[in-house]
Amino acid sequence: MKYIVAGIGGQGILFATKVLGHIALGKGLPVIGSEVHGMSQRGGSVISHFKIGDYQSPLIASGDADIFLAFDQSEALRNYHFLREGGQAVINVEHPAELAHPRLQDYFRQRRITLHALDGLGLIREHLGGKFLFLNVLILGALCGAGVGNFSRDEMRQAVGELAPARFREENLKGFDLGYGALAK
Amino acid sequence: MRGVSKKKAGYGMSRKDIMLGNEAIARGLVEAGCEVAASYPGTPSSEILPAVAHWAEELGTRTVVEWGANEKVALEYAIGASFARKRSCAIMKQVGLNVAMDPFMSIAANEMDGGVLLVVADEPGCYSSQTDQDSRALALFAKIPCFDPCDAVEAKAMVFDAYEISEKYRVLTMLRPTGRVNHCRQAVECGDGVIPGRPLEFRRMPEGHRILMPMTMRGALERHNRRFEELRREFGTAFGKYNFEVPAQGPARLGIIACGLCYAVVRDVLKALGRTDVALLKIGTPVPLPLDLVQDFIGRHDSVLILEETFPVVEQQLLDRTKVQGRWNGWVPMEWELSPEVITSIILRALGEPAALPAWEATLEEARKALQLGRRGPRLCPGCGHRPSYLAIRKAYPDCILCSDIGCYGLAIAQKAVDTNVCMGGSITVASGIAMAFRAEGKPASRPIFATLGDSTFFHMGLPGLASAVYNKHPFVLVILDNGITAMTGGQGHPGVGGKLRPGEKSGSVDIEGAVRGCGVTHLVVQEPYDVSGSVRVLKEAWEHARTAEEPAVVILRHPCITMLKAPPTPRPVRVDPDKCTGCRYCLTHFNCPGIGWDENTKKTFIDRRFCVSCGVCVDACPRDAIVFTGEEA
Repeated sequence: MKYIVAGIGGQGILFATKVLGHIALGKGLPVIGSEVHGMSQRGGSVISHFKIGDYQSPLIASGDADIFLAFDQSEALRNYHFLREGGQAVINVEHPAELAHPRLQDYFRQRRITLHALDGLGLIREHLGGKFLFLNVLILGALCGAGVGNFSRDEMRQAVGELAPARFREENLKGFDLGYGALAK
Repeated sequence: MRGVSKKKAGYGMSRKDIMLGNEAIARGLVEAGCEVAASYPGTPSSEILPAVAHWAEELGTRTVVEWGANEKVALEYAIGASFARKRSCAIMKQVGLNVAMDPFMSIAANEMDGGVLLVVADEPGCYSSQTDQDSRALALFAKIPCFDPCDAVEAKAMVFDAYEISEKYRVLTMLRPTGRVNHCRQAVECGDGVIPGRPLEFRRMPEGHRILMPMTMRGALERHNRRFEELRREFGTAFGKYNFEVPAQGPARLGIIACGLCYAVVRDVLKALGRTDVALLKIGTPVPLPLDLVQDFIGRHDSVLILEETFPVVEQQLLDRTKVQGRWNGWVPMEWELSPEVITSIILRALGEPAALPAWEATLEEARKALQLGRRGPRLCPGCGHRPSYLAIRKAYPDCILCSDIGCYGLAIAQKAVDTNVCMGGSITVASGIAMAFRAEGKPASRPIFATLGDSTFFHMGLPGLASAVYNKHPFVLVILDNGITAMTGGQGHPGVGGKLRPGEKSGSVDIEGAVRGCGVTHLVVQEPYDVSGSVRVLKEAWEHARTAEEPAVVILRHPCITMLKAPPTPRPVRVDPDKCTGCRYCLTHFNCPGIGWDENTKKTFIDRRFCVSCGVCVDACPRDAIVFTGEEA
């Protein structure tokens, strides 16, 4: 299973892939991934590749990812090409009209891509006092809520709790549940 | 690593942790008995040294773990420790090796005592670098052995072998990961054991190695060249774990020789393409190249593709390239990363089956164009003290020549503030050069000259430039942007602020003002950059002094790094008054804070609460006074 996680530096993307890695390791699954550190982290585009299974390289090729998590809508647009035909995307959406653009919809149809969109920032404003730092766990919750990927709600929630710093644990779990609730059927 | 490993400590004989390539290298260093580790931070190598300290704590070793003021310092630390028979290492990014070239080239032909490793992280793709150089080419130039790992697991294993080789041949040995290996995340075995340290020993050898002078080079150069050929033989015969063939099933239509990350990518690409008719030779020890092995492989195939990053180091060591498809004949691009996409297209082309661009790519590209997807470059953090510093310099002298340097503040390029940016410490000396150009015209500078660099960069390579400027009486203003930390690379200490990596260790610190005065500077002012009008006044006075006294003046704009030192500003919330905002965009182009957004519908700016930290400094950035404090409103 191949995941691409994209967003803006400062959104906690590396923490999100750390959670995925933590669970996979616990299950004894081989994992390899690639992160961007350094200058690009200063508010620039950040992308993380994460592969579970028998792979040698940490990179995912264009058109090859099973799942795409996007913390930001324009970073989503920048990175849709990673998705394989029939792939699934969980996207934090601020401007629904842009997502509805006919050419973009054409692309989703051509590639049979399933979109799971949610207004993460709106949810955080409403329920988490505008603490946008928790967007990353919210997206992980949404991933489970949408029933996408190979991790159950319980194991993901447990991993978030284990890896979050103690003083932010409760808020992280709240953010996770918020994301789960937003996309759970 | 942190959090995960602590929880899992005590699992038994050995365990696997998910870790970064850098953390794996660090783990290898500690387990292999490295007793002295030194570095200067630089992406993609920065996490190695802190991880050495972390693992040393966990494994209970005495390993000395220290930052040097620059990479030359760090390499010389490692050389000294090796002379005292300790296993040591110096860690840096590729650009750092340029700074350390003097000890690097000098020591290459020497016979070392304790095993000594040079870990140099290259960065194909230039994500956080201004060069795409291949340090393996410098290993070849210096004639020292080089290991080129393909992932985190191999990088860790190579540390042990590199020490063995370094001690067997008494030679400085290079481990050269690329950024994708440094920052790959993978499950890596943690051993429990640590190779015991050696007792310190320093025997005087007045005629021997350690003294690098013309008269001691006779014999040393011959020995050095002989050693290089012996290493080539050993790499060709005894290193099957790093240099091996993945044969085709049946006759091979193509042979590929791949090094480092390219090997891992080729494996995945061939699997994805379902190709079993391609033979692959992995080379993990590219310098000196095991020629017998490589030439035998080439001899058995009709054509052979060579994939390595970033310079044709393997390719250029070959004696006969007639059957080789590589950079020399344009099959492999000379620039940028060899990504999975690039490698796929090269392989398909070499097989005579070039792939057409899929239709969906064009659709997606049209959507991106229609939705006006722009580039999102990195920017200074909201509340950063550097942002008002550059605003103040440009307010004081819109036409000044501003020479900047390597660090976060280079991002002020997005504020239309920066004119030059060359290398570490280059702000001061390039400003000097411009002052000399004015001097060559026989008249005073008609435009103010400013140099800006950070506190860590000042100690890295700023001091010799400042001393030279005082010596030569160069009129310019040096602005030291002092945020009290090495920020861009993740918040490391430096001589100006102290701070050690092993818990409980004491550090000293050098007073920046004292260092500046010690260089002979007479005009020195310290100023808070959040006070923009105060900064403008101080900067003007400094240039007046520099111009009239014909000597450098120094202003220290000091504000703690809000991100790394977790120093949030005293909240002074602001809003944009839409009646006053004319949509001139000056605040966007000259202040460039993520906390200020642009509303396409109203054609006016607004405060983006997602990013704004309420530092209130942007009030000074609006020429129409349209950004106002919310507290002051009636």
